Amino acid sequence: MTAAVSISGLVKSFGRFRALDGLDLEVLEGEVHGFLGPNGAGKSTTLRILLGLLRADSGTVKVLGGDPWRDVVPLHKRIAYVPGDVSIWPSLTGGEAIDLLGRLRGGLDEKRRKDLLETLELDPSKRGHTYSKGNRQKVAIVAALSSNAELLILDEPTAGLDPLMEATFREEILRERTLGRTVLLSSHILAEVEALADRISIIRKGKVVETNSLEEMRSRTRTNVSATLDDGLGALTALPGIADLRIEGNRVHFSVDAQTLGDAMSVLARHGMSALTVTPPSLEDLFLQHYGEQHEPSGNEDDQRLNASFFARRGRRRAP
Amino acid sequence: MNHAFTGTLPLLRHAIRLDRWKLLPWFLAFGIIPVVVYAVYGSLFPTPLDAFALQSSLSTNPAFSLLLGPATDLSNAIGFTTWRIQMFGMFFAALMAILAVTRHTRATEDSGQAELLDSGVVGRLARLTSAVLFAWLASAALALLVGAALTLVGAPTTSAYALAGAMGGTGVAFAGVGAATAQLGSVARTANTLAGTVLGISYLVRGLGDTLQDSDWLLWASPLGWAEHIRPASENNPGPLLLLVGVGGMLVILAAWLSSRRDFGLGLIPTRPGPARGRSGIWGLTSRLNRLPLWTWGVNLLILGTVFGLVTGTLSSAFAGNPFVRQLIAFRVATEEQLTYAFVEVLLLILGIIGAVMGIQLALRFFAEEEERRAEWILSAPLSRLRHVIPTAALAILAPAVGMGICSLALATASNVSGSPLDVGKVVLQGAAELPAIWLAVGVALALLGLAPQLRSLAWLILVYWLLLTFFGPILKVPEWLLDTSPFHIVPHVFSAGTDWLSTWWTLAIAAILAVAGLAGYRRRDLVCT
Repeated sequence: MTAAVSISGLVKSFGRFRALDGLDLEVLEGEVHGFLGPNGAGKSTTLRILLGLLRADSGTVKVLGGDPWRDVVPLHKRIAYVPGDVSIWPSLTGGEAIDLLGRLRGGLDEKRRKDLLETLELDPSKRGHTYSKGNRQKVAIVAALSSNAELLILDEPTAGLDPLMEATFREEILRERTLGRTVLLSSHILAEVEALADRISIIRKGKVVETNSLEEMRSRTRTNVSATLDDGLGALTALPGIADLRIEGNRVHFSVDAQTLGDAMSVLARHGMSALTVTPPSLEDLFLQHYGEQHEPSGNEDDQRLNASFFARRGRRRAP
Repeated sequence: MNHAFTGTLPLLRHAIRLDRWKLLPWFLAFGIIPVVVYAVYGSLFPTPLDAFALQSSLSTNPAFSLLLGPATDLSNAIGFTTWRIQMFGMFFAALMAILAVTRHTRATEDSGQAELLDSGVVGRLARLTSAVLFAWLASAALALLVGAALTLVGAPTTSAYALAGAMGGTGVAFAGVGAATAQLGSVARTANTLAGTVLGISYLVRGLGDTLQDSDWLLWASPLGWAEHIRPASENNPGPLLLLVGVGGMLVILAAWLSSRRDFGLGLIPTRPGPARGRSGIWGLTSRLNRLPLWTWGVNLLILGTVFGLVTGTLSSAFAGNPFVRQLIAFRVATEEQLTYAFVEVLLLILGIIGAVMGIQLALRFFAEEEERRAEWILSAPLSRLRHVIPTAALAILAPAVGMGICSLALATASNVSGSPLDVGKVVLQGAAELPAIWLAVGVALALLGLAPQLRSLAWLILVYWLLLTFFGPILKVPEWLLDTSPFHIVPHVFSAGTDWLSTWWTLAIAAILAVAGLAGYRRRDLVCT
């Protein structure tokens, strides 16, 4: 497979603030690629560079084989974008805005436009300034998905959508994938990425810290185990690859890496195991591994602290 | 009712904190300009006779009373200062108040900040009240500033504060206008346009009242006319000030009543649903977005041109009643025709500056597309930066040309109809002669837009500089080389023999370079993403 997007060593500064600090990213053709990170990590800046809205300070960026800054018009015929915070001309209706974008790209898929308006329950005859945030988002989604573009760049597309619409949106994205489209989906909603993405890149402070499929990320991470045993609680401590061991009466909690998982299971079986819970690492665990000051297994109160520190992390501030 | 005002004071403090720096340029201008004008009086008119000569010659050109009000008494510095700055001062104080009120009422609803504020412990009328109080405080501060500054340089206290009061009072009254229009329009821009129209009409009605014969009653039809009746430096009459404040208060009560009859985020002028399909491209979009300002400008320029033409039509009778003019004509210093054309030239200069305001406004509106993140979205379509900006640039260049055509044609026609025959071709040509200066202003705006969008307000600052220089410079005896830095000062005189067009070509060339630099800059720079 060839790469629809390939970025290496991308640097972008705004004044003294270094938004992107040697970012590498590769999105393969035909995949849904999750781009994961909190606000201010540099997601939107990366996407804007891919669209030629911002100019890279250094590094190489290729989109569909072209230079996004130089080849704006030919490239944009093949790309559709949903911005993170859609704003619609106050005096235009949603339908007019969709058709404007369509006309600029030389026409759109009329049937898809009609179907999308129906499934997303969007009234195209309302004026821009009367739409809610979710409805503005829908306008941009309809414009992007009815464009038959090869590459969809979506910047937190479900922000403002209600849960039902979020589910509808997921179906539409999966449908795009079956049509062979490439999707770059930036988000901080882990469940959404978990449900849609073939591969995931985690961005932190302007750098991609990990790119992999969710399966592989999981296989290289620790699994959380809770078990109730009759005896021999001490036997576990002897096992290598076990961490975060906590013993509460005859219940035991620990995390274990993939290689030791089999050994751990046989130890548990030998000591009269009567209950067992094995939780694969959630995306949240993987994410926190990169973002938490230290990795803590889920299920204890430290998660709250990590979550709090993650969401409170200061990034590039958005103007009100 | 008791709770309707809860939270007013915290909101007021919040508004003051937000706007400290926004108001600073206004205060600086209001603190400095009166002092400068007051201080130069002595050097301008060494003897009372000089002042009398100016007063007499001013009466030959009613354009000045249309623009600046009557020169009641130029025999002392404060009288001269009053004549030069009171109308502009009142106009800009009113503008400041309108913008401040809209910014803290309607604009916060547009941006969503109001939703956040209103959901707190805030009464129904608190936001409106705090915005109005803020504008009133600003007006009062401005008046105190003008009064104190003039007193410090030696002006009589009563007269100084009377002049300052005329400005502050106008601000208070128009804060009320702004409060009312903020309830009518459904976005900030509409609200500002409505209030600005009221202000413009008030200025015009006041000007007509001062200029036309036997039309003093017109002064009572305009808040600016009431303020004029304070007559600083001669009568120092406090009555009209009370009238201004009273009307301001009543308008606010009206606004409060209106606000209780409308929904949050919407205006009383309702928004109707529109077509579900559209056919416009980028040119269509640009004309759609600018439809309202274009119509507003077109109608305003048509009215203004017609009114100016009607005023010109009454010149003959005005001249006949003026002994000084009769003398000038009798001694063949000037013919009546020359005096009329001198008048028309000043009128066209005023219209030219208004045309520049229009051009700058149309050009800078483009930045809102970036600021409000719509540019980011539309540029994700196959649309190059140049194709994005060119329709706006074309509009900002063409619209003032059409506008000048409309108003100079209206001026010439109305004047001919009402009894002062003018050469229509020459009037239109003189109107067209203002265009290079207008385009230079547009060029500055485009260059800033493309190269340094953060500094785009400089375009307004430069226009204000040109305006002050052109209208105040000659009378303040500013050296010629400095006067020449204003393109409006070097506009060719079509009505006099042997018109020199060289300066026009220079102005055009600089304007073209600036515009091209701006377009190239927009093509090369990062989009401003907030």
